[in-house]
Amino acid sequence: MPDNEVVIKVENLNKFFPMKKSVFSRAKHFLHAVDEINFEIRKGKVLSLVGESGCGKTTTGKTLLKLYEPTNGKIIFLGRDVTHLLNTDDKKWFHSKTQMIFQDPFESLNPRKTIFDIVAEPMNIQNFGTLRKRELMVMEILKRVGISPPDAFLWRYPHELSGGQRQRVAIARALVMKPEFVVADEPTSMLDVSIRTQVMKLMMELIKEMNMSFLYITHDLAVARYMADEISVMYLGRMVEHADSEELINNPFHPYTKALISAVPVPDPEFKRKFVEIRGGIGKPIDPLPRCRFYDRCPFAMEICSQKEPELIEVGENHKVACFLYNHERR
Amino acid sequence: MRPILELRNLKMYYDTQAGQVKAADDVSFVLNEGESIGLVGESGCGKTSVSMSIMRLLPENARIISGNIFFDGRDVVKLSNDEMNKIRWAGIAMIFQAAMNSLNPVYRVGDQIIEAITAHEPNVTFEEARQRVASLYKLVGLDPERMDNYPHEYSGGMKQRAIIAMSLACNPKLIIADEPTTALDVIVQDTILRELEKIQRKLNMSMIYISHDIAVIAEVASRIAIMYAGKIVEMSDSVAIFKRPAHPYTVGLMSSFPSIRGEKKELVTIPGEPPNLLNAPDHCRFVPRCPFATDECWKAVPSYTEIESNHFVACFHPQNLKKRVSINA
Ligand SMILES: Nc1ncnc2c1ncn2[C@@H]1O[C@H](COP(=O)(O)OP(=O)(O)O)[C@@H](O)[C@H]1O
Ligand SMILES: Nc1ncnc2c1ncn2[C@@H]1O[C@H](COP(=O)(O)OP(=O)(O)O)[C@@H](O)[C@H]1O
Ligand code: SF4
Ligand code: SF4
Ligand SMILES: [Mg+2]
Ligand SMILES: [Mg+2]
Repeated sequence: MPDNEVVIKVENLNKFFPMKKSVFSRAKHFLHAVDEINFEIRKGKVLSLVGESGCGKTTTGKTLLKLYEPTNGKIIFLGRDVTHLLNTDDKKWFHSKTQMIFQDPFESLNPRKTIFDIVAEPMNIQNFGTLRKRELMVMEILKRVGISPPDAFLWRYPHELSGGQRQRVAIARALVMKPEFVVADEPTSMLDVSIRTQVMKLMMELIKEMNMSFLYITHDLAVARYMADEISVMYLGRMVEHADSEELINNPFHPYTKALISAVPVPDPEFKRKFVEIRGGIGKPIDPLPRCRFYDRCPFAMEICSQKEPELIEVGENHKVACFLYNHERR
Repeated sequence: MRPILELRNLKMYYDTQAGQVKAADDVSFVLNEGESIGLVGESGCGKTSVSMSIMRLLPENARIISGNIFFDGRDVVKLSNDEMNKIRWAGIAMIFQAAMNSLNPVYRVGDQIIEAITAHEPNVTFEEARQRVASLYKLVGLDPERMDNYPHEYSGGMKQRAIIAMSLACNPKLIIADEPTTALDVIVQDTILRELEKIQRKLNMSMIYISHDIAVIAEVASRIAIMYAGKIVEMSDSVAIFKRPAHPYTVGLMSSFPSIRGEKKELVTIPGEPPNLLNAPDHCRFVPRCPFATDECWKAVPSYTEIESNHFVACFHPQNLKKRVSINA
């Protein structure tokens, strides 16, 4: 595959959750968890989704990996439309090439399975190779993620491992079949500070070595800056800004991105941050009105912002913003 | 400056079936009136154990082995339960980790704060207490009209503000905030930290901020204590801690944090994992992870000493003495 090929692409992706009153009534209200999202990730690249909790990051990741059926839109993976995978062979093919790493290493590993069974699981599902071959591959990936010597861990159970070791095992399981595309959902947010950095560095190295594409979900912009080539900022289901990581951090356009960046604590007691005052808190996008979702909190809100929803528009090279402040300006 | 709190060689251990957990092992520091200090360390290093010792809110299997905790001139360790009850909330208040979940769902939020006031100050009438809660609400940035709402009608950030209002209700001299914003989103965290800082200055209160996040502590504390495996391994003013960290663990922490400011830099990792506090050995606890370790470090526990004015370190080979290191700007 050529090096800058698009591995995964989503077009106008929507995921709405029906708000049912009871099992008997039909849903009249919908929570727009993911609303008209577009992006693509090229080979070997990392895209980070950032935003406050409830903005739709996890739902986007799960919908991409077909853990949720999309409500609308299109998912193209390696040039094939995988929006609706109907037959078993297609499903098998898709799931052999994609994986997910979850936030909580205590919940995501089956407590009754040994480390060997956990890591070998993707190969078992795919009926891949002989038992001997699987064993070798499990040993190899465990060693690579820093679980060593691997044979000392193969027959242990998750509860015998520390949080950091468990997350390494989860990474091993995700990467054992060398997937093309991985969604990592806040993979280090439950880990201790010193372990977090180790796991971040490990993932960076593996992404480079295996030339994988990653969707890296995090609420921490500093982590996104470190891990990702590009960052997309989400707010209440919408993508409000997208740019290369350094550009987004150093030259944010959207009032929400600016607020988010200015609120990140800086590990330097002499640095005085600029405060961007924004009102209120985040709500839920249930039957959202056709207007800017940041309208209630935005210090720059204008009349037009309450009348229609701003589209993502290009404001620079690979830099897009959804805000009426920039609709007429071009750099 | 007058000291409001002084810990002297505090040892608080938990007895467990597997042995002794030395959660606070020879912890000493002084906090002055009107000052805010930060206690930083990875989870399990003993931060909450130190604060619970100060509050004397310890579980059954916890024992204060030795040492003193002087609050306002009196040793908390020696006080009777009755005397301690008077100090709690009225003298020292605490904002617990995930305290917002501790609001009782079936009572109005305002009433819970009024209850806290009248429990400690029986002479205060209901109307007076209500007035006080209203002004506390304004102080912490809540609309007093929301006093009569129930907890589920508050957002996470509002609940945390209500908890802060409650901690202020009896005019304490000292507030211990244990991970006060850890569960909150970054914008809410930021407004709450600023609020706390403002209130602390306005009321000239003393504060102990506890967090695993050194960036958060850098925002609010003028002095910082770094904790590792039950001990304070380094303490100094915030600028010294960041610009001239002396303990190898602090040095490691400083370069292992990603920042959104300045040039993007390589992260340096501290190898290994923090130790279990069970049956602690008689040597420096950081030694298996330390790049500067020598034989000496395996043989004894380094003592906590003042290596330069107001800069305390427990290490045989302190770093960065008298020379400036550059950390990310
Ligand atoms: N299975 C579900 N059913 C109904 N609502 C959901 C479900 N999963 C998530 N949501 C809602 O969708 C929105 C986005 O959630 P999520 O994707 O988990 O956000 P994030 O990962 O950014 O915190 C939230 O308002 C959440 O409450
Ligand atoms: N009730 C208890 N019994 C036994 N050990 C405990 C108890 N509470 C805490 N510990 C242990 O004491 C150590 C310090 O815990 P804690 O003070 O909660 O740390 P921190 O607040 O820094 O995360 C940890 O190793 C923890 O497992
Ligand atoms: S579109 Fe209007 S309300 Fe929305 S972020 Fe821009 S200025 Fe603010
Ligand atoms: S005493 Fe020795 S092992 Fe411990 S931190 Fe200092 S140099 Fe490292
Ligand atoms: Mg999530
Ligand atoms: Mg704690």
